[in-house]
Amino acid sequence: MSNGPLLFKDIDTPGLTRLETYRKQGGYETLAQVVGKKPPEECIEIVKASGLRGRGGAGFPAGLKWSFVPKNSPKPKYIVCNADESEPGTFKDRELMEKNPHLLIEGVVLAGYAIGSNQGYIYFRGEFDYVQKIVDAAIAEARAAGLLGDNVAGSGYRYEIHTHLGAGAYICGEETALLSSLEGFRGQPRLKPPFPAVEGLYACPTVVNNVETLMNVPHILRHGAQWYRQWGTERSAGTKVMSVSGPVKRPGNYEIPLGLPMRTLIESPEYCGGMRDGMKVKAVIPGGSSVPMMPASQLDTPLDYESLNAVGTFLGSGGMIVIDDQTCVVDALWNMIRFYRHESCGKCTPCREGTYWMAEILERLEKGEGRETDIDLLADVADNILGKSFCALGDAAAMPVQGALKHFRDEFEYHVQHKRCLVNRRRQSVTEVPA
Amino acid sequence: MSGLVRVTIDDRTVEVPAGTLVTDAARAAEVHVPIFCSHSKLPPLGACRICVVEVGTPKLGPDRKPVVGPDGNPVIAWMPKVQTGCTTPVSEGMVVRTQSPTAVKARKGVMEFLLVNHPLDCPVCDEGGECQLQDLAFAFGHDFSRMDEAKRTFESEDLGPIVKKEANRCIVCMRCVRYCDEVMGEDALTAHQRGVHTEISSFNRQPLECEQCGNCVEVCPVGALTALPYRFKARPWDLRQHITVCPYCSNGCSVRLGVRGMEILRARGTEFRGVNQEYLCVRGRFGYGFVNAGDRLSAPLVRSGDSLQPASWDEAIAYAATGLRDLAATHGPGSIAFLGGEKLNAEEQYLFQKLARGVLGTNHVDARTRFAAKVGGAALLKAAGGGRPSIGFEDLGNVQEALVLFDDLQGESPLAQAVLVRGQHQQGVHLTVAHPRRVKLARPKFRGEWLGARPGSEVALVNALTKAALDLGDPAGLPAGAAAGLAGLKSALASWTPERIERETGVTATAVAAGAKRLREAERKAILFGRAVAEHPQAPALLQAIENLGWASGAITAERSSVMYAGPQNNSQGALDLGLVPDHLPGYVPVGDAAAREPFEKSWGRAIDPQPGLTAREILEAAAEGRVKALWIASDHLLRSAPDRALVEKALAKAELVIVNELFLTATAQAAHVVFPVAAFAEKDGVVVNCERRLQKSTRALSPRRGARADWEVFQAVAQALGAGWKYRTSEDVFREMARLVPGWQGASWAALLPNGWTWQAVRVEPSLAPAEAPAPSGTGHWVLAGGTLFAQGSLSGRAETLAKLAKHARAFLNGAEASKLGLAEGDAVTLESPAGRLTLPYELDDSVPPGAVFVPYALAEAELNRLGAPSGAGLQVKLGRAPAGVPAGAAGNR
Amino acid sequence: MSHAPVMPVEAPATLEWPENVRSEVDEAISHYPVRRSAVLPLLWIAQRTWGWVPPAALRLVAHTLGLNEPEVFGVATFYTMFNLQPVGRHHLQVCMTLSCSLMGADRLFRHLESRLGIGHGETTSDGRFTLRRVECLAACGGGPCMQVGLEYHENLDETKVDALLEKLK
Repeated sequence: MSNGPLLFKDIDTPGLTRLETYRKQGGYETLAQVVGKKPPEECIEIVKASGLRGRGGAGFPAGLKWSFVPKNSPKPKYIVCNADESEPGTFKDRELMEKNPHLLIEGVVLAGYAIGSNQGYIYFRGEFDYVQKIVDAAIAEARAAGLLGDNVAGSGYRYEIHTHLGAGAYICGEETALLSSLEGFRGQPRLKPPFPAVEGLYACPTVVNNVETLMNVPHILRHGAQWYRQWGTERSAGTKVMSVSGPVKRPGNYEIPLGLPMRTLIESPEYCGGMRDGMKVKAVIPGGSSVPMMPASQLDTPLDYESLNAVGTFLGSGGMIVIDDQTCVVDALWNMIRFYRHESCGKCTPCREGTYWMAEILERLEKGEGRETDIDLLADVADNILGKSFCALGDAAAMPVQGALKHFRDEFEYHVQHKRCLVNRRRQSVTEVPA
Repeated sequence: MSGLVRVTIDDRTVEVPAGTLVTDAARAAEVHVPIFCSHSKLPPLGACRICVVEVGTPKLGPDRKPVVGPDGNPVIAWMPKVQTGCTTPVSEGMVVRTQSPTAVKARKGVMEFLLVNHPLDCPVCDEGGECQLQDLAFAFGHDFSRMDEAKRTFESEDLGPIVKKEANRCIVCMRCVRYCDEVMGEDALTAHQRGVHTEISSFNRQPLECEQCGNCVEVCPVGALTALPYRFKARPWDLRQHITVCPYCSNGCSVRLGVRGMEILRARGTEFRGVNQEYLCVRGRFGYGFVNAGDRLSAPLVRSGDSLQPASWDEAIAYAATGLRDLAATHGPGSIAFLGGEKLNAEEQYLFQKLARGVLGTNHVDARTRFAAKVGGAALLKAAGGGRPSIGFEDLGNVQEALVLFDDLQGESPLAQAVLVRGQHQQGVHLTVAHPRRVKLARPKFRGEWLGARPGSEVALVNALTKAALDLGDPAGLPAGAAAGLAGLKSALASWTPERIERETGVTATAVAAGAKRLREAERKAILFGRAVAEHPQAPALLQAIENLGWASGAITAERSSVMYAGPQNNSQGALDLGLVPDHLPGYVPVGDAAAREPFEKSWGRAIDPQPGLTAREILEAAAEGRVKALWIASDHLLRSAPDRALVEKALAKAELVIVNELFLTATAQAAHVVFPVAAFAEKDGVVVNCERRLQKSTRALSPRRGARADWEVFQAVAQALGAGWKYRTSEDVFREMARLVPGWQGASWAALLPNGWTWQAVRVEPSLAPAEAPAPSGTGHWVLAGGTLFAQGSLSGRAETLAKLAKHARAFLNGAEASKLGLAEGDAVTLESPAGRLTLPYELDDSVPPGAVFVPYALAEAELNRLGAPSGAGLQVKLGRAPAGVPAGAAGNR
Repeated sequence: MSHAPVMPVEAPATLEWPENVRSEVDEAISHYPVRRSAVLPLLWIAQRTWGWVPPAALRLVAHTLGLNEPEVFGVATFYTMFNLQPVGRHHLQVCMTLSCSLMGADRLFRHLESRLGIGHGETTSDGRFTLRRVECLAACGGGPCMQVGLEYHENLDETKVDALLEKLK
């Protein structure tokens, strides 16, 4: 049963996906109070003051991003909701949209109103076909009730939302690659500058925001910036939905106040309730596979942007993967690097070739064919990717390697010396190594 | 100075225009920053990452001024990550480090990555020795390899007869795909799959259905795409490389021939050189094969009875000279005529007419053997602005509006088409294309306007456009000569009502008015026309109409705008400029202008006949009737090029002396009394004038075929045998004389033409505005639409092995409705009949051919259109019929 | 000349949108100010209509939107979810990324391989199942997870997956 103070509050209310139930919970009241009534610039200021940061992974201040949209541009402006959720370990947007689609719709319209947009697109990853259908049904209800269309809630303001389904590409979660894909091209990222807020979809000013980010907007505009800051810390305000996976007792989505210690999330009976089957935590990847892993010794780190940065990792998407003490770190890392190799779009040399190379080295290490020089080689390859690739996917492939080598170099050395894993409970039941 | 910024790259500081990319600024500072995906014709991509450098900018204080450090220099804020130089524009005070440990490690890292999956193919790869990856790996990479994993592999494949793809070698720089899209407008290539499995190919890896231009091969920085015709033939260090001017069309592309010994092995473009800057069409790139063809003439031939017998040069020269002298003495200079010369170089063209006028005393000189109508020698120049400064290709790519009149640029002026395609894509050039068929540039993907004017309505359409332009107000800046005719023109154009326009052209008056408005309102504009106008039966009226439009729209007067004529042959422009016309001397001096004639007469030591001579058609008529008794034909297969083939046959049969300069024993040569074997373009130095009126020097790349001599040497030998005191040691001597005498060419020299040529600009003929009327066509029958095909089978291109492989057989294309009217089914043949002759061709369905027309790509061996009365179909109407079964399709071959 | 096409080369070479999806096609195109954006929606409609995306469907999408065929080919092959070869009636896609792997996805996949007698990318001879390894499905808390077509099935183990296969005819 998912729970939480804000976005997950009462999220399992039966029928919440339907308009009347959503309204009973106060849904679309913010829309009625803001659209056509509050000046758009004020909306931007409130969101800025609230400290809301992008919840998809980058953590960029949302209100600041909105303020980059040129006020006097004659071009149409767009809100594009990034529902491409593909960061391994992350599954929060799926549940949020599946259960409370109207909150997303309301958020999109309000964001659109704030920047002077009349058209929004929601870009779903291809696998979210059924989620798209749920959201489409909600959009149809909203349109029928005059909450979308030429006269939003009687305000005279026009807003339309269309949904768009991707087709299987993690890179399309990168905002410019998403726009490329939405425009009908191969999903490859584009040069920045120009930034999407100035030249985005169809070269028009575009704000790309994550699902969770947008779902906070109605609440923030309704209750104000200070109210939102009742949770979180000074620089990491509000709540964050953490997706916890791995062999914990209760994996799932948990909305936490930012700043909650990681140990609480993993061990507290209110949350994941600790490890299953007597396993212990060996490492935690706090924010999706793209961020460096943390050793169990750092379990008391608060879950907020700054505290995680301070120990050399990131809050990222909030997709927390808990790795137990019977799992081989080398094997786990190889699994992740295979992911990046598969998802690399191929545009730039370091990511395209580097992910391939790292996967090959890790395969040999895991299979007991590693050499002394492989560990430093692996580190150097990762270093040659980091900061040199066209977009953050390269960094996302390099950082897990660096994190693993920093905290678990001994496991790599063990592989080289003994030609096998230190521990590997998964391998015990699998006779062959996957390609 | 405004617009310039100071940038420091390593230890060098340069000033460059604001907005310059760091890689270009580095080039200006002579610091080598390597590139792969970056290309001068393509917008920045930033994909390969090899150009990464450290970039810093002056830290700005609250007053927006640079903060100065304790050492007195601005404090530099370094960007946290290295940046790609090719995507970073410079800013004032920017500092770039290419040799810092950070930059070096980053670059070496990228180079190492490039080699991760790149196979060690150098020993078997054609690119070896001129491979950017080799060169840059050597200069910027490690001297060791740490990568010994298995590499990802693909199957190699042929993407058609020209392009070999070894995908293993691809570094995914995307140049090929982007060049094909943004410069060629062809979109034949795509990247498919993703990650390391990204592969460049065509749709589902099927053979390429593109122009086979080979530009993708040219821009590929590694050996992933190579040219099959050159495969395994040579290493670059085996080759001498010389830059010549392409022998085919009048765009004048620079072609870098690679020669080993006495054989041309390949042709390439050169980035940053020439009007084409690396771009070449398939003819330029693969059409050199005729130079080394086995059937090149290697000895003079002299007629003996019914056959031509090999003779020595002395014998042949004597035969020709004696014949000419005797005929001139007996029947007067007017019995001798000179035809052809569009493919000679400028020095030879000058000597050709000097021989005619200055030695023999005849003005019967005409290179325009393809023309149907009698067109004044200065008419084409006049229509294009009279010699006023006009734009070149570079400016053409930056106009706002380009109007293409009646030519399919694909086959006529491929470089002009590529310039417009890229201009449309990158600079927003808007295209208006007037053509009865929806030719490539008129396709929706280029977002232009197509004016599908009915064949035969060309004069009407141009008049309609002119009227619409004048309706917007009198044009500014008309010179006196033109202004005088404005009122008369306006009143003549008054009858072009919307109703009349639509009735006669089939184009709506709204579309015409919109086109004229766009042209008029554009700040920079161009009007292009070519052989479809020059060879038109109504050419004089059409040329006047185009001149009218040029003034009315402002194309002639506006800055960085003009009207451009692109003739069909490589030196068509030179032929006009150098007086290979009956009524003008070189430099457009009218033969009747005594004062202007005088310097020539003084130099040549002879009075020049003030009466204009006969045009090509008139010459042939006179020859057929016996009034002209001697014909000298240079670089022209007259039997195929003249509109009336039967007339040519009669003329050749009747003439008492036919002298032919040729590379091959064509059918025309076979009818001669003397055949001189001459050098091909690659075998002589000389100047060629392209459609920009740019003089370019073509460099001799190899010695002439044994036994052959340059045309100019032949002309001199005959002149000397006739007693003229010509003493040219080299063709440069000839050019020096030309530079002294030809008005508008003063100051030119071979040296001045390097490296990028020199454009002559001098008003040589006064403009006029005048009504241009031509009767609406009255004939029945189907209009023949003929378009250029780059895979032609002329006497040169037909002997280039690669082109011959690509050439498709001649067919007649009709749309479905027309075909059913004739009862044609797939596999049938259709006859085309005109008073001049008949052709039978296989039929093929093409719904883009408009009703009432048949499309026959010309210059294909089995479809010599001049048998029907028009070598490129201009103004030709034929009767169509279903060919009875068993009648073989085709006509005589191209010899 | 060796050509290994990415997709089967078939004849006839053309397809038309069936009547019953034409309005869907038009509707999709109407959602965007630039036609090109409808490439993915139209490819999905094609896949739903024909069960996979034949080369003729790529051409149809290209012509419908005024795009070049190579471009549409390049777009379709970029994404993993367009089947450019025919697939079985039930497309079994097992997530193999870290979270699911920690919960036993590798063993589950081996089980499916041996049960069905096919490997990654292969189809059973009766055309019933195609098996594929895929990357993270955003079901990490419910791993191991398998998508059948576009349907999610989470918290699987060998018993549950056997029962599921029984139901898929």
